[in-house]
Amino acid sequence: MTETAFDEGRYLYCVAPDGDESLSTTGLDDEPVRLVREAGLTAVVHDCGSLYDSDSATRIRRWILAHQSVVDDAGEAFGTPLPFQFDTVIRGDDDAVRSWLDAESERLTDHLDALAERWEYRVEVVWDEDAARDELEATDADLRALAERRNDADEGTRFLLTKRYETRLDRLLDERRRAEAADLAERLGGEATELVDLGDRSRAGLDVGGADEDVDVLARFAVLATDDEREAVGLLLDDVAADPGIEVRFTGPWPPYTFTPELDGGTDASDEV
Amino acid sequence: MRPTKSDDDALVDLVDAVLRTGAVVEADVVITVADVPLVGLKLRAALAGMKTMTEHGVFEEWDEAHRLGNSEAAGERVE
Repeated sequence: MTETAFDEGRYLYCVAPDGDESLSTTGLDDEPVRLVREAGLTAVVHDCGSLYDSDSATRIRRWILAHQSVVDDAGEAFGTPLPFQFDTVIRGDDDAVRSWLDAESERLTDHLDALAERWEYRVEVVWDEDAARDELEATDADLRALAERRNDADEGTRFLLTKRYETRLDRLLDERRRAEAADLAERLGGEATELVDLGDRSRAGLDVGGADEDVDVLARFAVLATDDEREAVGLLLDDVAADPGIEVRFTGPWPPYTFTPELDGGTDASDEV
Repeated sequence: MRPTKSDDDALVDLVDAVLRTGAVVEADVVITVADVPLVGLKLRAALAGMKTMTEHGVFEEWDEAHRLGNSEAAGERVE
């Protein structure tokens, strides 16, 4: 880790449109949360002298939940906020925060306007891959032809035919998954303000196990939606989930984490597709 | 179907969202170590016991506070 030493800093939770509202809450490690206002914007911060880093799982988790809790409170008070990534710290005092708000005010305001009244939702669609595989094996003419030839073949040929069979089956299955995911993306995207296909991107930290490790994910999306759009997405998901082989998980509302911009106009660190 | 933010799936999405996304500022005035690989490494350990932590009440306060705001959202896991 580099550049972690500093005398004074402000941990930044989010930036929201300014208003008369106040916010009385505590943040990471029960630090009192304050508002710094400038240029029609409100930065939600607490004073800090070091970055938040720990080997303790419990602490990290508490921090993340505290971070989210503050952003949620800010959202309730001010409307959809622009949430910042965990552990974003502005070097300096409140004046430094004000200078930054002032310098970035145009872009921040544009982004907040675009996100106003909208929240992020996550959609995960799980399918029965075994059933899809069975269906392909039963219906694909080429697969059936390969299977017949394999039955009549000698051992060496049988090995090759088995390989070809498996390769084709895997490819068909992948094509089918992609096609269904694309169809879902189009339908969901039609109902929402914006949709990001999270694809096969694993969720941060999910690779440590958990009960759902072995499910076959058909598609994962983040959608940005107004309340009306959320209703429409919910209805559409009811249709999708009516298929007995499909399971749908629908979470939110979250602050629009996935739909926030890079404010430096530089590299994309958020892995968005 | 209504979205939920009070079950394990929601927690996983939340942690992912807070760590992986959110506005990123790259300016001299900003210090950040929240690049994904760094936090991700620690998080791997952190998430191993997430369900256990929920059972032991670590999330209860947060959970309750947000359940109140989403009382209609319970159990949106549709088979």
